[in-house]
Amino acid sequence: MKRYAKALVWVFVSLGGAGALATIALQRGEPLNGTWFIVAAGCTYLVAYRFYSAFLAARVLALDNQRATPAERLDDGKDFVPTNKWVVMGHHFAAIAGPGPLVGPTLAAQFGYLPGTLWIIVGAVLGGCVQDFVILFCSIRRDGKSLGQIAREEVSKRAGWIALLAVLAIMIILLAVVALVVVNALKESPWGTFTLALSIPIAMLVGVYMRYWRPGRVLEASAIGLALLVFAVVAGQWAAESPSWSEAFTLTGTGLAIAIILYGFAASALPVWLLLAPRDYLSAFIKVGAVWALAGGILWVRPRIEMPPLTQFTDGTGPVFAGTIFPFCFITIACGAISGFHSLISSGTTPKMITREGHARLVGYGSMLMESFVGVMAMVAACALTPGVYFAINSPAGIVGHTAEAAAATISSWGYPLEAATMTGLAQQVGEQTLLNRTGGAPSLAVGMAHIFSSTLGGEGLLAVWYHFAIMFEALFILTVLDAGTRVGRFMVQELLGHVWEPLGRRGWYPSIIGCSALIVTAWGYFLYQGVVDPLGGINSLWPLFGIANQLLAAVALVVATTVLIKMGRTRWVWVTLVPLAWLVTVTMTASYQKIFHPEPRLGFLAQARVLSQQLAAGNVPTARLVATEQLIFNNRLDAAVTALFAGLILILLVEALREWLSILSGQKEPALHEAPYVTTRLAEAD
Amino acid sequence: MAARILSLWGRPLAAAGNALRKFWWWLRQMSGDAAYENYLCRAGHSGGQEAPCPAHRPAVSILSAEQFYLERLKRRYSGVSRCC
Repeated sequence: MKRYAKALVWVFVSLGGAGALATIALQRGEPLNGTWFIVAAGCTYLVAYRFYSAFLAARVLALDNQRATPAERLDDGKDFVPTNKWVVMGHHFAAIAGPGPLVGPTLAAQFGYLPGTLWIIVGAVLGGCVQDFVILFCSIRRDGKSLGQIAREEVSKRAGWIALLAVLAIMIILLAVVALVVVNALKESPWGTFTLALSIPIAMLVGVYMRYWRPGRVLEASAIGLALLVFAVVAGQWAAESPSWSEAFTLTGTGLAIAIILYGFAASALPVWLLLAPRDYLSAFIKVGAVWALAGGILWVRPRIEMPPLTQFTDGTGPVFAGTIFPFCFITIACGAISGFHSLISSGTTPKMITREGHARLVGYGSMLMESFVGVMAMVAACALTPGVYFAINSPAGIVGHTAEAAAATISSWGYPLEAATMTGLAQQVGEQTLLNRTGGAPSLAVGMAHIFSSTLGGEGLLAVWYHFAIMFEALFILTVLDAGTRVGRFMVQELLGHVWEPLGRRGWYPSIIGCSALIVTAWGYFLYQGVVDPLGGINSLWPLFGIANQLLAAVALVVATTVLIKMGRTRWVWVTLVPLAWLVTVTMTASYQKIFHPEPRLGFLAQARVLSQQLAAGNVPTARLVATEQLIFNNRLDAAVTALFAGLILILLVEALREWLSILSGQKEPALHEAPYVTTRLAEAD
Repeated sequence: MAARILSLWGRPLAAAGNALRKFWWWLRQMSGDAAYENYLCRAGHSGGQEAPCPAHRPAVSILSAEQFYLERLKRRYSGVSRCC
């Protein structure tokens, strides 16, 4: 009887999910509200977790709860510690959840709500979750080794080097693009800039508290820090209303970029307890809190979806970024569906905390489902804006013009009615001078979130505070990624240079710290600067580059996962990683090719460089713009070279992997797995 | 009256209290707030908080709360700890 009741529940959940997905996909002409998205995603995730992840755990990976994990065998109370599965899941989710699933879906909304939403859900269930889960399993079976080490041992030495290069490349592009998102959100915004600037001394105060006054008391220090951050959001309004303070905190894009570059350098060189760690704690709490509040807000407010299911920009002429729905919808969403970066966390600290192999299912597969859910909520928040407002915020001045009148005329001509007064009124409501041309996704997401939050609590009167709270929430954890990423990048550069001259490899040697921090900051700072001065808004070039780099790393992870499955003799089930890998390679290679060679100047880097060169040669460039134009030509060629490098790395990796797979499958080579020896667990069943 | 309310609400209140206690425990573990207590417990010291954990081995030297906190941060931020 109980069995039938359970089966009935799952039938209802499946029907609910299918019904909600059908409604989202087929509804035309009738208003749709955000709850359908939550139900569709929630039911699909439940079914996927219950059935598909169980299949992966039992049949494909054959997880063995009697086999001792590295957390048990190598338990040192420091790195390797058997930990409660819900605690590990919390750690893992906090580590993988970054700005990507918020920004990517917001940008992809230019194609309409349908393609992005479907990819976020399907891509996560069949791709992203599988990648995270299988790599976590591989690392657990290999004493918590990193993705690079596993690639070197299981595929080839060259694959290990490709993984290392991919990590460094993705780090540089990632840091540049997330910094650009912050710059575009805060330029000419004294309120936002003041609030974020105040978060630095607040974080330092929290750092001093946790180091000297109450060592390690994270919760009480964070509570104080959070209260001060709320005060900083409110105080930002006072600063914006004061003429002298407002002037001091009104920065141009270039000014903000320089400030962020200097900040990144300082954060990388300063002791970790002073700025990085306390900021990380504060941003983690705000991140998790804001995500749950957004989920609650969507269910409470049931916002009406204003964006159509598909826009005419699926043809590649979109103003937010250029490119057709295939491959750019998938490249743009990136982390919301599948993120190569997650494989670094799945082969980092997480495998060293897993008590039983069976827990990998909840931690690896389950956490990525939650990340995907964040992406769906970002899509709802972005699509709750009217299309006119969405495009006015996210389109660069080079396309819609600098004034509200010009933007309203251009966007209305696309079939999305917009009045200039709507934009000026909205800017006033949220306490900004303007919301036009704020590319990068963060401001439009903040407007969407502010509408949902203010409809739940405080009404229109609190719209400005909620908007700046949302901006602070996004900027705070983007800067945390920037701090942590610059630091890890510095370690990688130190490690590489240590092979050239040994002292440079010492992590604590100050000349090396300063020099290597400067090197890594210069690398991402250059791409940030080129994004800021790009007349097409920067995001158009940098976000696809980031997406390609991220998916490259995912390809590395899936190649490793496929190789391990073949070596384990699970050839029958190898499609679970091979299908997402084939899809990723197709998407990434198509996107790379188009970004380099497409004849449309907004899409192809070389075409844009060619057009600018022709303008220069014909003398059509004003004298004041000569240097800037030469710089733009160089930047486009550099971006083309970087994209070609990514594509080349994928091809080399594929050749390496295919050679290894064929030699194993044809029996020319014995499959040699590099797993740690089997040891039976001594832990009790309940642990 | 009070007895009646208690008999009606006693169970749900106890369940809510239990859930809150569990959430608080999870929050402290997740955030690292309980990390030093866990360390002392694993090292066989009570740290003046509660009875020593019988299951774990005594450590040769015990780090102070500040030393432990700094060492933990050093380990945590030596690799990729945050994602995109």
